Amino acid sequence: MPRQYRTSFRAYAAWNYQKELEDLNRASDQGWQLVRGGCFHSRFVKNPAIRYRYQLDYGPIEDMGRYIETFREQGWEYINSTFNGWHYFRKLYDPSLPEEEYEIFTDRESFHEMNNRWARLALIIGCLLGLCALFFAVRVLIPAPNLPRLIQVLTLLAESLVLIRGALIMRNPDEVRRRKESGLFLALFFAVVFLGAGSSIALESLRPDYYTEQGATSVEAPIHDNRWMVFQVTYPDRYYLDLDIEAEKPLTFAVLDGDGTPVYEVTETDFHEKDLALRLSPGSYSMSMSCESGFHLTTRIE
Amino acid sequence: MKKSEPMSESYYYILLCLAKGPNHGYGIMQMTEKLSGGEVKIGSGTMYGATSNMMKKGWIRETMSGEAGLERRRLYQLTPEGRTALRAEIARLRRMLDNAEEV
Repeated sequence: MPRQYRTSFRAYAAWNYQKELEDLNRASDQGWQLVRGGCFHSRFVKNPAIRYRYQLDYGPIEDMGRYIETFREQGWEYINSTFNGWHYFRKLYDPSLPEEEYEIFTDRESFHEMNNRWARLALIIGCLLGLCALFFAVRVLIPAPNLPRLIQVLTLLAESLVLIRGALIMRNPDEVRRRKESGLFLALFFAVVFLGAGSSIALESLRPDYYTEQGATSVEAPIHDNRWMVFQVTYPDRYYLDLDIEAEKPLTFAVLDGDGTPVYEVTETDFHEKDLALRLSPGSYSMSMSCESGFHLTTRIE
Repeated sequence: MKKSEPMSESYYYILLCLAKGPNHGYGIMQMTEKLSGGEVKIGSGTMYGATSNMMKKGWIRETMSGEAGLERRRLYQLTPEGRTALRAEIARLRRMLDNAEEV
């Protein structure tokens, strides 16, 4: 008979890994044995003849050989590790043995240490995301409110809070053992992450990104208000201008809005600036230049 | 020197099991169970974490069994620093017991 395989796309929050173990044990009792564990999908093979008990460990492993040997000595078979540092183990289940035989952390300190490794990382990432949310809110959203930025800030904030909450749960060993969350919360969280990523990508793709370079060794007649580039702004935000001016006589460069009013203007012979922040509202803009001599000008707006 | 912190039960038993000579992880686990009359167990995750940390502290080190003809095995060995730490812990525990009797 061919081997029967099944792939499960069930995901679990890190602080809910006891629920994952419970589900793996139940699957094993029903004849589905884990062959590869993962964060987003796991693979099982059908074998009703045996039963396993599973355990998860988390963290970087310095000496994989010693690690696997330490587990094998007590009957644990190493299955695999995920890209983000979770390690799956299984042990043949003998119902006559006490449940402690299937624990890998036998004191409070080591159990806490393992959970805390994850909690520490989650806390750092959570705080960084929170700071990002704060930064975007203060520097971009409040000066130039728009819906995609609002979504970006709110989703960053939500991600930050969920991670910090997860870290706080993981720091409490009793809470980790007790906690059995439904998958709905995680599904909702993923939806928020996708929404946030989507709004960030949309924001980026809607931004103008133009680069121009022009120059002449000399000009026959003064150039006056030469508008050479029109660009569109679809949502209010901070946009960044790079500008390099080299001219014999002062050159005037300006960014004009749809009515021809300058939103930025500079008159210089030698001027180099990067990431000049311009707060622009939606509309069409053009770049303008006036000069009487040879010049070299490069601009970039993004 | 800073006063040493109390050791976890697992650290204490691992050091104790190595006091008379090198041993491998499974041997330490069995000896601990025997010594404590089944009260203390050292699971694999606890064992790996404790041995890693104690190697970093320099209390134990890894060696290989050198018996010819036998499968070479990974052994743990107590270092002089580890012996000092174990002695200090025993003294601390003894003091606590003595205090209990005085009260």
